[in-house]
Amino acid sequence: MKQPTGQISRLGTFKYLAQRFAFLSLIGLTFALMLIGKADTVIVERARTAVSDAVTPILRVMAEPAATISQFVTNLQELGAIREQNADLRETNTRLLEWQAVAQKLENENRQLRALLGTVNEPEARSVSARVVADSGGAFAQSVLITAGGRDGVAKGQAVVTGEGLAGRVTQAGFRSARVLLITDINSRIPVRVGEAGDRAILAGNNSPRPRLIYLGVKSAIAPGDRIVTSGDAGAFPPGLPVGRVVVADEASAVIEPFVARDRLQYVEVLDFGLTGILAETAGAK
Amino acid sequence: MTGIAQRRTPWQKFEARARNILPFGLTVVVMLFGLTPTYVPGLAQITPLYTLVAIYFWAIYRPDLLGYGLGFAIGILEDLLTGAPLGVGALTLLLTQWVVFNQQKFFHAKPFVITWFAFGFVAFGAVLLKWLCIGLVTESGFTPFGDLFAAYLITLAVYPIVAWLFSKAQTGLLVEP
Repeated sequence: MKQPTGQISRLGTFKYLAQRFAFLSLIGLTFALMLIGKADTVIVERARTAVSDAVTPILRVMAEPAATISQFVTNLQELGAIREQNADLRETNTRLLEWQAVAQKLENENRQLRALLGTVNEPEARSVSARVVADSGGAFAQSVLITAGGRDGVAKGQAVVTGEGLAGRVTQAGFRSARVLLITDINSRIPVRVGEAGDRAILAGNNSPRPRLIYLGVKSAIAPGDRIVTSGDAGAFPPGLPVGRVVVADEASAVIEPFVARDRLQYVEVLDFGLTGILAETAGAK
Repeated sequence: MTGIAQRRTPWQKFEARARNILPFGLTVVVMLFGLTPTYVPGLAQITPLYTLVAIYFWAIYRPDLLGYGLGFAIGILEDLLTGAPLGVGALTLLLTQWVVFNQQKFFHAKPFVITWFAFGFVAFGAVLLKWLCIGLVTESGFTPFGDLFAAYLITLAVYPIVAWLFSKAQTGLLVEP
């Protein structure tokens, strides 16, 4: 290789050098892109949105078989326990009817008291249902792509929930798709309140299924089993959305088990409270 | 050889070209497959690095059809789609290609078990690099390495399946009749 004799080996050397040049320039380009991406530029976001929008219809079709199989397995499992479940549900139903009566009474009372005090009502949420078509990143990033986008009124910063509780927030909204950053992602920071005392803290994801509480007050006494709800601080989310439960609480850390499991995300709801959110420059509330 | 190439009809040329993008096409397909949710508890957290398997496989068997340029393109596409920091996946795939291209003598006509074993080392390096890069680029710090190790093991486990599918495609479609 070092001493090219014929035309062929000279050509080989040229090819080798060209390849080497291509390799080095591409490596340089990846580093440049890392820096551009870190600066959070609009171009990168647009590129992500465009690619997601283009690929979502394909992913939608690809997700179909897995969804069907999962549905089938769930049906079989439920069929086995149908009698027991029925009895349980009847019992729960009776109990819930009693609660409903109580809730209605309290709601009335609450409305009257609010009217007396002249408090401003919280904004009503408008919601959009969407399907999860891609669960991306494996252990490196915790986000999902959903089948609703700008055309359905989905915008950056909106809260995404399931029946169980908060799943995440919209970080990028395309025309027909949107990316939801899950609360377990390493970049996720959510203002929350802990337990009955309602101590303020920030729920910080770390790419593991169990996020942690940070900036928790020194005096706060939290215990395993405490419920975590969104605080609504900084206008990021509407207050009171269920988030998770404390599973470990010692001096070093407070670990949370979210109510929403990443694996079971199939359909989600995007809530639009008309809040500007922490993503916008001018935070809405407070 | 050139004589035969000159006598090709446009259709044959088109067909040859279509066959030649097969490695790239299949890599994109396994990437999308990796993105598809399985709804199986615990699986999303340990999704295998399918593109790494694909890039490694084609770097050994068809380096002519999937070079640095396409490796870079796949990496960028994956970064954009998965929401990972832009450039990190591309860097990992490029370096994987570089390692394999520089060890072509070692990989030449080696039994499957040897390439699988070697993949164990290459993939470990790749996962470590990706972990390091993401940790450095992301302001929020490093992902717990334990979770990544599980994903690494799963990637090793799916290697034979993906490699088998690809080798079927290679012998069935890529080798000129």
